[in-house]
Amino acid sequence: MFSEQAAPTAQGLLAPPSAEPPTFPRVPVLGYLDCSQPFQLGERSFSRQYAHIYAVRLAGMRPGLERCARSQWGNDIVLRKLSELQAGEKCCVVGTLFKAMQLQPSILQEISEEHNLVPQPPLPKYIQPSDELILEDELQRIKLEGAIDVQRLVTGTILAVYGSEQDDGRFLVEDHCFADLPPPLPWNGPSSDRFVLLASGLGLGSVSGEALLSTQLLVDMVTGQLGAEGEQSCAAHIIRIILAGNLLSQNTQSRDTINKAKYLTKKTQAASVEAVKMLDEILLQLSTSVPVDVMPGEFDPTNYTLPQQPLHRCMLPLASAYTTLHLVTNPYQANLDGVRFLGTSGQNISDIFKYSSMDDYLEILEWTLQAGHISPTAPDTLGCYPFYKSDPFILTECPHVYFCGNAPHFQSKLLQGKEGQRVLLVTVPDFSATQTACLVNLRDLTCQPITFSGFGADNED
Amino acid sequence: MADELYLENIDEFVTDQNRVVTYKWLSFTLGVHVNQAKQMLYDYVERKRKETSGAQLHVTYLVAGNLLQNGYVCHKVAVVREDKLEAMKSKLSTITSVHVYSIQKALLKDSSPLYNTDYDIVKSNLQHCSKFSAIHCAAAVPRTPPDAPRAPAQSPQSQRDPDSAGAVNGHGPPAAKAPPQQQRGIMGMFAAKAAAKPQDTPKESKAEAKEAPGVSATSSKPSIKNNIMNNFFGKAAMNKLKASSVPEQPKEEKEVVKPSIAVAEPEASPNTVAEKPGKKAESARIQQKDKRSKMKRVDRSDDEEERDPENVKKKRKRIKQLQSDSSDEEADVPPSPTPEEERAPSPPPVPALKTELEPASTEGSAGGRKRKWKRVLKSKMFIDEEEGCMGKTG
Repeated sequence: MFSEQAAPTAQGLLAPPSAEPPTFPRVPVLGYLDCSQPFQLGERSFSRQYAHIYAVRLAGMRPGLERCARSQWGNDIVLRKLSELQAGEKCCVVGTLFKAMQLQPSILQEISEEHNLVPQPPLPKYIQPSDELILEDELQRIKLEGAIDVQRLVTGTILAVYGSEQDDGRFLVEDHCFADLPPPLPWNGPSSDRFVLLASGLGLGSVSGEALLSTQLLVDMVTGQLGAEGEQSCAAHIIRIILAGNLLSQNTQSRDTINKAKYLTKKTQAASVEAVKMLDEILLQLSTSVPVDVMPGEFDPTNYTLPQQPLHRCMLPLASAYTTLHLVTNPYQANLDGVRFLGTSGQNISDIFKYSSMDDYLEILEWTLQAGHISPTAPDTLGCYPFYKSDPFILTECPHVYFCGNAPHFQSKLLQGKEGQRVLLVTVPDFSATQTACLVNLRDLTCQPITFSGFGADNED
Repeated sequence: MADELYLENIDEFVTDQNRVVTYKWLSFTLGVHVNQAKQMLYDYVERKRKETSGAQLHVTYLVAGNLLQNGYVCHKVAVVREDKLEAMKSKLSTITSVHVYSIQKALLKDSSPLYNTDYDIVKSNLQHCSKFSAIHCAAAVPRTPPDAPRAPAQSPQSQRDPDSAGAVNGHGPPAAKAPPQQQRGIMGMFAAKAAAKPQDTPKESKAEAKEAPGVSATSSKPSIKNNIMNNFFGKAAMNKLKASSVPEQPKEEKEVVKPSIAVAEPEASPNTVAEKPGKKAESARIQQKDKRSKMKRVDRSDDEEERDPENVKKKRKRIKQLQSDSSDEEADVPPSPTPEEERAPSPPPVPALKTELEPASTEGSAGGRKRKWKRVLKSKMFIDEEEGCMGKTG
């Protein structure tokens, strides 16, 4: 546990000044390797259609799925493409799921004049009992029914179904399976306590200032200013901080300048400018003391489609002077002291949340791992770059720590896989709402939340 | 004794100045380790309470510890008022630290004054905000300015050398660097511009320092002929070049910076070619070779120096104040306008803006004086393409 050994000296600073107080050196990072090259886009061209990404996704995941299908239903099952289906024959088909949802926001419906529809207001969930599942492969599609949970699944998932085609043209599913956890990575973790702090949703630039003191306390604790000596020496074991997105608050995204008349907005500055300056100062304080990885999120000034490219260093002039600041992509993958981290800023999980009956972020996180794909709903409902050579969101190796940012609350779970995979799943809560960050101990893959609080006028703690 | 001084200081801060004294603020103000500051605050509170029982002191504490919450052992860090201290301590299963967070005369309704105090003191000490902290990170070293902007800063510099030398292969060291830098010229310019902004001050000084030796080496060479390269210098490069120009008294070179356009200038060699096709005026510089160019003595030193800060500040500004030395320039300039009409290949709107470096006829390049590239805006007609320009450069 973080700083439990600090307990004996807890009250040490309630004393007159003593002699030279100790300074603890920050535990250095032994090995850091940034593995997010697949998520870094160089030249971007949007001239391709999105059908290619589905095609490469299916092609990329098909072998793994066929293997899983064989191991689950026997080696002698018949694998068929949809075009080869014969009525009544029990077989296994691998394909992409498509969920036809009535409530799914459709731009075509919105602009269609004959309907004269007011655009649908955003709903927390778009699922309905009348949704249908359709399986598509390279050439055909077929409606699915049977032992398959329509509400739970989302578009874009690659899965294998076992069943038979009915006379009415639908496929009756008896069982289905996903790609399951990817193959495990060897474990080279450290033998002593080393912590990585995961935080997301700092939400700078918001109108309310409640979380500001908590942010300051977070920075102070990590940089070793806060706390008694024991706690400071424990904080020196924090080897890295990963900020998983939404450094700016949603308030900075107001698009007044588009809607209002120019003479009203001519001299106003975008809210994000001030917020980024504040972010720069906070990152400077952090960078002078600990390596920081900054991932962009939904409300940050970078591109909208996944994979989001790193924030540009020109926005952070003070902090980017330090080599300890790393601006990274979203999703982000890295090897830290032999432990493989993989995580996103939460857009993938929250998008699945909207289109599935799963309510728990941790459950969704685990499900994406089981389905073998970070973000199956991209590009259908989540913006995505039109990849055509390969889909970088397919999980090929099982990470040791798999996190998502901007979750409503903190949850963590250590998942054990069939092939010996050990994954720590962490949902990093939104700091501006919960004032909670997470500390992951690399030695034993445990995670502990840290909460910061000030005192408010209402006197509650 | 000397140790007691801090007590008086704190007393003054709290009672006389009515400040909110947080441990961090005290640590920066007195220049002591944060832990010492916390202990000083504690000491002060204890003594003050002992001597004057009616002391109007309100103290906030920081409490941290473990707490079982939602099935997780959560580590909680909280700033609490004195009256809630015991309540918070009892809630925590393990206490890992307690110390004084701040002292103030008035009772605080909420914690925003604490935040504001800390924010202000950190803001004024941004460059060494971890100086008094208890953790020191060896890996946190600032990038050296040449590295930070990723070579673009270097390219303008090195480009300058060959330029000043005139012939690309004029000098060993610069020559060696010349070819690669020239390729990076344009990129260098951009990068230099980008880099120049955050780093103007340190860069300029460094650049100047660097330039001086390099340039003096090349000063002997009449650089004149190679205006081709001139266009690739970024503003930062220009600044540095200015510095170097001082040592190389015989000639001053001006470089025309073409931010985005390669000026295929056939060097109006003796002339300063100034052109600024619709781009920021600043980037255009004139290159002059004094040797050949009979006229222009670019007096960049003086004007440039003054200009420099403005240039630096307002990188994007395309119009500089018109210089009043048109008369001087007229004499020299006659040849220049023609070659100056180089337009960028890209179709900018009528550039019409020429910037020329002011001939240093009067000022003369004083040796030893750092020269800055000074851009003199000739009183030529120009199209106020501000929006366009801004858009372009943006």
